Amino acid sequence: MHRSTPSIPWLVALALALPLVAQAQTIQNATLRRAQQAFDNLDYRQVLTVAHASLRERLTGFERARAYELLGFTYAGMDSILKAVDAFKQVVLIEPERDLDPNRTSPKALSAFQVALTQILVVRQLRVDSVNFIGGQGAVGIRYTVTQPSRVVTRVTGGSGTSGSMRIDSTVANGQVNLRWPARLPSGDPVPAGNYNVVVEATVGQNSFSTSQPIRITHGVVDTVAHLTSLPGYTYLPETEVPPKSWRPMGLALVYSGIALAGTSALSRGELGSASMREGGLIGGGIVVAGFIMTLKKPAPQPARGNILYNSLLREQIARRNTEIAQENTRRRQQVALSVVPLPRVGGGR
Amino acid sequence: MSGRFGGWAACGLGVLLTAQPLNRLAAQHVIVGPQIAFGDYREVSSDLHYRGAGGGLKATLEWKKLSADFVVSKVKYKPTSTGTATAEFDASEIEVRLRYYITGPVSGELGFINRKADPEFEAQSVGAITAGAQMAYLLGPGVRMALRGGLLFGAKYSGGGTTSALGALQLGLGVTVDALRGRVRVTGDYGFQRFSRKTDDGSGALPAPIQQSLGRVGFAIVF
Repeated sequence: MHRSTPSIPWLVALALALPLVAQAQTIQNATLRRAQQAFDNLDYRQVLTVAHASLRERLTGFERARAYELLGFTYAGMDSILKAVDAFKQVVLIEPERDLDPNRTSPKALSAFQVALTQILVVRQLRVDSVNFIGGQGAVGIRYTVTQPSRVVTRVTGGSGTSGSMRIDSTVANGQVNLRWPARLPSGDPVPAGNYNVVVEATVGQNSFSTSQPIRITHGVVDTVAHLTSLPGYTYLPETEVPPKSWRPMGLALVYSGIALAGTSALSRGELGSASMREGGLIGGGIVVAGFIMTLKKPAPQPARGNILYNSLLREQIARRNTEIAQENTRRRQQVALSVVPLPRVGGGR
Repeated sequence: MSGRFGGWAACGLGVLLTAQPLNRLAAQHVIVGPQIAFGDYREVSSDLHYRGAGGGLKATLEWKKLSADFVVSKVKYKPTSTGTATAEFDASEIEVRLRYYITGPVSGELGFINRKADPEFEAQSVGAITAGAQMAYLLGPGVRMALRGGLLFGAKYSGGGTTSALGALQLGLGVTVDALRGRVRVTGDYGFQRFSRKTDDGSGALPAPIQQSLGRVGFAIVF
């Protein structure tokens, strides 16, 4: 059976990528450091020997995952795909969130890693959105990826109002799953403030895997709406207006006085002779003078019916809107603003 | 006869005032003030021609659409130089007008008039029911004028005689000017009365008309 030789460029790429991957944590075990050194020197036989030897020693979780990762890369480089897959399965089981950088990893290693993911049951990349919303009017986004078709149950544990555990979803899923949790108790009330854990459990046959994400829920007061004193774009109009000067007062004074004097003259014809105009003339003259003065004076402001009606409508509109705002504020005072924040994780899944 | 109308006046005034509950009196306007009166009086023919002056008092009560004028005056009439009359006389007049606002400038009026001559036989004392209308107009801030007209029904004369239904008429013209921020009103009134009276001493009906022009100027205090 022909065994293909690993291509040099990919090996170089792997050698360049691995130190970067390992930057996050340092390797304390000497044997594992030797294996890493051998991998950096592209001495694959030495890598296999030393890495296996290191696995028989006492290693931390990170070091153990790193040892299997070195084996996975080495087997992939040596075209031993099945063995590479087995090694990567161990990596994922130890560190389910472990991912490979597609820009720095050879396609062979990437495909072996992907095959490994499909052969074991893990729930990865559990994410809870940081979100603020009014209780009952929003939801918390929850996402995770399950690597095999399985029954996945999502629960929320902890806090004081969930009676230990509250199931929020149960489904058969494979791949990425998106959930929306309204953060409400079965009674409809908002979930009490406190620290909680979003737990995702996947089960298929005898295999099961669970992971969790701690979150903190805090309660706040919902802002109320301020009452209106005016409507934007609408202003009150003056309710009185000064009419233009007119000769109407003078004219009416002349007409009224004329009628009175003419009537006197008309009624007094006959045996009694012509009527006396002294009395009527004096009062009528006074009225004409008053009418003339009123004509020259600035007219008194008169009610502007259109503006009064407009202002009345505007006041009614503002009052109606304020009534609605008051009702809205009464409702808002009974509401709770929920703030959901994911907390740093303590450990991985199992 | 004149005593009967005087009694009516007192009665009407009493009924009007006592009909108002005390708590509403505060909301109504009462305007009272003295006036100087000057008049021209003619009777039967142009020869019985008098002119005179005197004083008077005018009170106005305003409440919602209702208002009432109470006017008393006393004028000493003296014969004019062109006439044949020789004796002067005093004309004491009481006039009451109840007014109800109808629409626009128009109000309806109902009242009575009673004029008594002293000495009694120098001129006719007369009493009548008045009914008519008033048109009022606001000339400007605080300046009001009014034109009145109406008929005098059921006229009674101290010397007898009758008047047909449309034979007695009156005209009036008035003006008020507010002063001192409306606490005082300057008033001016003109009233003209014409009674087409006829007498019959057995020889047939004879015309004996009565005519008076009366001007009054004064002021009033608004309560």
